[in-house]
Amino acid sequence: MRSYIASVSYYLKSPTLLFMFLVIVSIVIARIAGLTTLDTLILLMAFLGMAASLNIIMGFAGYVSFGHAVFLGIGGYTYVLLVYFFSPLNSLQHAAGGIGAFMVAIIAGLICAIVAASVGAAVLRLRGAFFAIATLGLNFAVLYIVKGIVPTLNPEQFFAAQVILPARALVHKSLIFNAMVITLTVILLTNYIIKKSRFGMGLIAIKEDEDAAEVLGVPTFKYKTLAFAVSAFFTGIIGALISLNGGGVDEAIFRVGHTIDMIVMIVIGGLGTALGPLVGGLIYYWLYDLLLVHYPGINLMILGVLVALIVLFAPEGVIGILRKYSIGKVKLKDVLE
Amino acid sequence: MDTTVLMINILNGLIWGSILGASAIGLTLLWGVMKVVNIAEGETLLLGSYIIIWAYMSYGITPYIGMWMALIVGAIVGLVVYWALLHKLVGKVEIITLKTEMSTLLVMFALSTFLYNAYYYWIGSEPRGIGLWHVGGEVSYVTVGGITLRVNSIFAAILAILTAVATHLFLTRTMAGKSIRAVMQDAQAASLAGIDPVKVKMLTAILGIGITAFTGFLVLLHEAAITPEMSHKYAPVAFTIVVLGGLGSVMGSLIGGFIIGLVYGVSKVMVAEYYTPLAADPIALSTAFIIMVLVLLFRPQGLFGRR
Amino acid sequence: MANRNILSLENVTKRFGGLVAVNNVSFNVNEGEILGLIGPNGAGKTTLFNVITGVYKPEHGKVIFKDMDITGKPAHLITRLGIVKTHQIVRPFNEMTVLENAMIGALFGKRAGRISITEARKLAYEMVEFVGLVDKVDELASRLTIREKKLLELARALSAEPELLLLDEALAGLNPKEVSEALELIKRIKEEKELTIIIVEHVMHAVMNIAERIIVLDHGKKIAEGTPTEVANDPNVITAYLGDPKLALRFVKERRISQ
Repeated sequence: MRSYIASVSYYLKSPTLLFMFLVIVSIVIARIAGLTTLDTLILLMAFLGMAASLNIIMGFAGYVSFGHAVFLGIGGYTYVLLVYFFSPLNSLQHAAGGIGAFMVAIIAGLICAIVAASVGAAVLRLRGAFFAIATLGLNFAVLYIVKGIVPTLNPEQFFAAQVILPARALVHKSLIFNAMVITLTVILLTNYIIKKSRFGMGLIAIKEDEDAAEVLGVPTFKYKTLAFAVSAFFTGIIGALISLNGGGVDEAIFRVGHTIDMIVMIVIGGLGTALGPLVGGLIYYWLYDLLLVHYPGINLMILGVLVALIVLFAPEGVIGILRKYSIGKVKLKDVLE
Repeated sequence: MDTTVLMINILNGLIWGSILGASAIGLTLLWGVMKVVNIAEGETLLLGSYIIIWAYMSYGITPYIGMWMALIVGAIVGLVVYWALLHKLVGKVEIITLKTEMSTLLVMFALSTFLYNAYYYWIGSEPRGIGLWHVGGEVSYVTVGGITLRVNSIFAAILAILTAVATHLFLTRTMAGKSIRAVMQDAQAASLAGIDPVKVKMLTAILGIGITAFTGFLVLLHEAAITPEMSHKYAPVAFTIVVLGGLGSVMGSLIGGFIIGLVYGVSKVMVAEYYTPLAADPIALSTAFIIMVLVLLFRPQGLFGRR
Repeated sequence: MANRNILSLENVTKRFGGLVAVNNVSFNVNEGEILGLIGPNGAGKTTLFNVITGVYKPEHGKVIFKDMDITGKPAHLITRLGIVKTHQIVRPFNEMTVLENAMIGALFGKRAGRISITEARKLAYEMVEFVGLVDKVDELASRLTIREKKLLELARALSAEPELLLLDEALAGLNPKEVSEALELIKRIKEEKELTIIIVEHVMHAVMNIAERIIVLDHGKKIAEGTPTEVANDPNVITAYLGDPKLALRFVKERRISQ
């Protein structure tokens, strides 16, 4: 690993990292200056985080995880149930200005990673649409199993698998904000590191031509599984934190709509880049809000048309298109990861 | 275990399964010929239902005619969808790559989003139905051996089987149908044999979405009232049926539907009996997806599929 | 002077359902030689390559590489051990540049896990230079001509630092001038990189020209083995090729040119 990561000064010269840094800083400044509600910022970070986490398996390796919302759900339910039933964890999540919540969320994320690695061992043997549909199947299978089992844990309180956190388990939004900032930073950095590493190049080779990659020495199965597990890990953390933010969790977290949000953000931004999900997420979030305000009711229809147009006419996404150009002597391709 | 309860659940499961199997015909054709996964399956299904409802409630047109209207509107939508969304991606391509698959996945999902929200916007979320309209004139039931079933549901199941058979005959007995099967098996060979793959793909889209819309009638018969939400209940199960039955196999869809419906019915009773009734329906539903994942792992071509 | 065996195939059989693609094939490859593998279409040559590189697992038999049994090992491991194959139909990583394509070879080849990205980039660049593609080094692979893609395929394979290089119909689709250039390149590879090469070809005069020894397959079976001259005059071989008249004609014509 040492030989793959260059010195710190190299990082500071990277525009991609700079941009990522700026985004996070802007969000923190917005918070401090009170420019908008905490909820808006938390949700924005959640969107960006979801997109960036799916990017690892979909953008880099090319495996469209259509059921990725399942990890939001597993993360959310794990977190909520953990702090509901175990007071040490409940105490932990209130601690250290948000770091505690982050740590409990990591447990939720790890469960997701384990599920991904084990189910992945089987499901990653499939390609293309088969894999997409299989993950969708996983999504629904887990949804229905949760709907079946969770109510039995506490029939009066957990009606229809809805778990509402009692007051003692509610965490102040400023702490959740901090936890989210940490999470998003880690996810974005991971994206960047992967893109510049041997692992990332191997994933992209897998996306381009998996069989040729295998014969060239890329350990495709190991790499795919790792990418899937890491992706699930991060998605799980986000699912945990947004559930905490919402004061509980219910089956809606498993909605396919969430996966679709993630996919659209990545597509808008550009597959296979580290900046793509960030840029795509910002655009999507802004667009979503804009449409909601100006064209309520038909906003999602317009979004649907937009996605179709992008896929048909600009499939490389924003970053993909930008990378084709040069500013003066600098080729954007070398600079926008 | 009460055998009557078991039988009711099995029969209802089979009926529901057959309807789903019929609804999956369009899905399996689109997937088999163009490797296009119709993510908007649920929405195109409901399109047919809504057309029938509109025709009946606004103009008094009997659903017996309405169902053909649904078929035609579905066919037109299929035509439009092909030229607007699919042709650019898969029209002239003989071997469909991973990237193309991803693109068609996304484009069909865009369609799904569009339709789903269109329904919410123009029709709203309240349940709509065809009122008290019933096969045979009045609301009626059939009781056999202590088991009561709605005539509408039985009719829907029969119609489902007929739809599958009719489509199967079309594919095996007509020139157009045979050319569809040829492209499904080997697009390159088919074009060398003089079959125009673009025409065939267009026809598949027309047929696929048309039939899906038609089966909206069956859903209407069985469910009595529908909401846009239902597309999310029907579509995923339809996928499991296509996987189980095999890509491109119409009879496979029907039989797959029966199997999934049967397993659903039986597991519902078993979970209610041996675990708790609270969990019965959701866990029974999850079996369909578990079956699908197992099939994908151990016999990805399904029961009757080729690849 | 017998060199050591770098590769040994012992009774290798590969079946696909009822079809026996490779039928009880055995032969050795001497270190440092250029071995030709020929035979009519469908003889099983590509399948054999796939068995050697681990893409297929044989039903029967063993593949021994440098005294190590590699039968059925995963493909990516075999690459790392030193066997690299190029594809009959070129398969470049389209959205990557020429350099990045070659870097994949460097990063996951012989020194996988022990080579840094900077070193890999350097090695890849050298290989791209070696095959003569250096003016397109930053070009997207999808933009190359067929000939350039074939060179890329080669550069990528060489970046993996193989000891045994398998060339699967690398000359197909090239015009005569390009074929001689390619043959020159192959000779240079063998001499400067000191590797062993097995070459599958239909361009008969090329194989006769460059191979030191030739193995002939027909319907999955080995039907002849020897020097180009021996093989060219072997009645079994000529009969096999008669089953494919066009090739037979070329074969007979071209062996006269090379003799």
